[in-house]
Amino acid sequence: MNLLLAEDDAILADALAEQLRHAGFEIEHAPNGAVAEFLLLKQSWDLCILDLGLPMVDGLTVLQRVRQKKPELPVLVLTALDDLQSRVAGLNAGADDYLTKPFDFPELEARLRALLRRSQSSPVANASMAMGALVFERDSRRASIDGAPLELSPREWTLLDLLLTRRDRVVTKEEVAQAWDSERAEPGGNNSIEVYIHRVRRKLEGSGLSIRTVRGLGYLLEALRPA
Amino acid sequence: MKTPPSPLMLRLTRFVVGDQSLHKQLLLWLLLPQLVLWLAAAFVTYNVAARYANRAIDASLSQSTRSLARQIKPVGSGLLIDFPKAAIDIMDADPDDRVYYMASTPPGQYILGSSSKLPPPQLNGPPKLGEPYFYDAVVDRMPIRVAALYLAYGDAKSRQLILVQSARGRARRDELARSILGDTVLPLSGLILLMTMIVWAGIRAGLAPLARMRALVEDRAPNDLAPLRIEAAPQELRSLARALNDLLAAVHESVAAQRRFVNDAAHQLRTPLAGLKSQTELALGENVDAAQHQRLERVHESAVRSAHLVNQLLSLARAEPESALAQHSSRVDLREMAREVTAEWVPKALQASIDLGLDDAGDDARPVVVQGHPLLIREALQNLIDNAIRYAGPSSEVTVGVWRDGAFGVVQVADTGPGIPPDLHRAVFERFVRATHEGSGCGLGLAIVKSIAERHAGQVSLSSLAPHGLQVRIALPLVR
Repeated sequence: MNLLLAEDDAILADALAEQLRHAGFEIEHAPNGAVAEFLLLKQSWDLCILDLGLPMVDGLTVLQRVRQKKPELPVLVLTALDDLQSRVAGLNAGADDYLTKPFDFPELEARLRALLRRSQSSPVANASMAMGALVFERDSRRASIDGAPLELSPREWTLLDLLLTRRDRVVTKEEVAQAWDSERAEPGGNNSIEVYIHRVRRKLEGSGLSIRTVRGLGYLLEALRPA
Repeated sequence: MKTPPSPLMLRLTRFVVGDQSLHKQLLLWLLLPQLVLWLAAAFVTYNVAARYANRAIDASLSQSTRSLARQIKPVGSGLLIDFPKAAIDIMDADPDDRVYYMASTPPGQYILGSSSKLPPPQLNGPPKLGEPYFYDAVVDRMPIRVAALYLAYGDAKSRQLILVQSARGRARRDELARSILGDTVLPLSGLILLMTMIVWAGIRAGLAPLARMRALVEDRAPNDLAPLRIEAAPQELRSLARALNDLLAAVHESVAAQRRFVNDAAHQLRTPLAGLKSQTELALGENVDAAQHQRLERVHESAVRSAHLVNQLLSLARAEPESALAQHSSRVDLREMAREVTAEWVPKALQASIDLGLDDAGDDARPVVVQGHPLLIREALQNLIDNAIRYAGPSSEVTVGVWRDGAFGVVQVADTGPGIPPDLHRAVFERFVRATHEGSGCGLGLAIVKSIAERHAGQVSLSSLAPHGLQVRIALPLVR
């Protein structure tokens, strides 16, 4: 993945570039708006992290100009300005995401990966997923734990699919019910969600995954931390 | 124990004793002279009426005295008094309005007269002959009016004075004077009363713009620095309103400048802080010895804390009425927002080994709608959850709840952490006040929550939970 980092603060740029390299990105650094614009237009990039407060040409202008030529390029705006107007201006100019400084690196990385997934969203990319010992193949509708096939009813499949897609985030009961409705899985009441969760939990035993109940909200799929 | 004075008493004392009120002063200055004038007019009227009554009575007394005098004729060295019985009967006829008469030769030799003796007039010098004297006196405990006439008889050698007096009770005269007084003072009083009412109404009408202006100033929120409307004010108040507006504008300007400074400073701090954080994170990832690692962790912790502080300062600046967010008011469903925000925070809570959840037990799913700034309300709720996660400690429960309470929508965040001692419940809403030295807070969270709640005409309250824990509630007025 080659990524352009347009950031004028040398200390931040240095550290961020290093962290991104550790995370497996190839980094080019642009210390000002003019360089950033030149590089963005000349070369091809998978991703761009753009500071708004750049010298020479400000980030918003760079973004607008680049957007005209490269509407596909995912751009994450990283800025010290977090008020509503700046956000709206940034998103209007064509930013795909917006993160304010100071940030947590894991969050930045997660957002970059999400942007990448979206930009390379060929159906194949999402087709199969692995988490813990679980392998989840959507196109062939097959799942397995440590190679052992997992039998799932249509409702259980939809439920696990949803939990996997939204891993580490809360999936509400309403969302589960909606997913079932849209898949036209066999009919059933809202209160039977608990039953299905219970079944899927048992089937996931030994996979290193656990479904956590979030009081009053729904469920969350997480990888079990090694004890 | 001192009991507070009742509102009525307070008003009365204020009216009588002091508190510079234009209304009161005007009323005093207009009504006091009126009262004095009224008293003076009554006094003068009474005296004039009494004088005219006296004059009428004096004239008739004078006449009867002269008639009496005419009946006394000198015969040789004696006096012949020809006083018909019929005349005496007439004079004694009316017991209510008694008529007295007396003839005497001074000093005090009684010749004839009615049963009671009349006192002689007080003379300065020799008596003037043939000219009546009029004076008041009391006979038989009855106030009377007396006319006295001195006459002289005989030749130069044997000259003799005769005093002829006649008198009537003063009751009739007083009655006359009183009725004149009554006839004048009654309409006068009515007039004064009417005048007072007109003056009262006039003062009220005249001072109404002042009262309106006072209400305008009084009804303002303390942080509302918009100028007063002066078009409606009368000439005399306009300069005052203008001066007030100038002051408001100056305050507004300085407050805005201060906020801009905080805002700019916070923004300027963000980039270097992000750099510091990233550099220490990198360094922590490298192979350093244990002691250095520990130091680096301290540096990182400090950077994280500073970053949090800067973010909170900006949140506080956003909660101010001048911020751009102030313009984006809309309907907010607290229930929906609580669900979203709680769900967002669950992963962070899990990282901190905290069981974060939503309490919707026994709850209808009706929306709890308030009018407000969605981002600000969200920020308030996030602060409460963030606080709970920061301070409750691992393996505590944090529960978010939403419900209706009368005219208010309530959002509550309760935790089973150590709580805050009750004596600090008030103080923690102040800026930079922290109840504990644990955690990496900056003491702004609850100040932000309070500021946001107050912006929405709502309230924040803290209470302790048994056996331990804390619940913080935000109550915002529901949309009707």
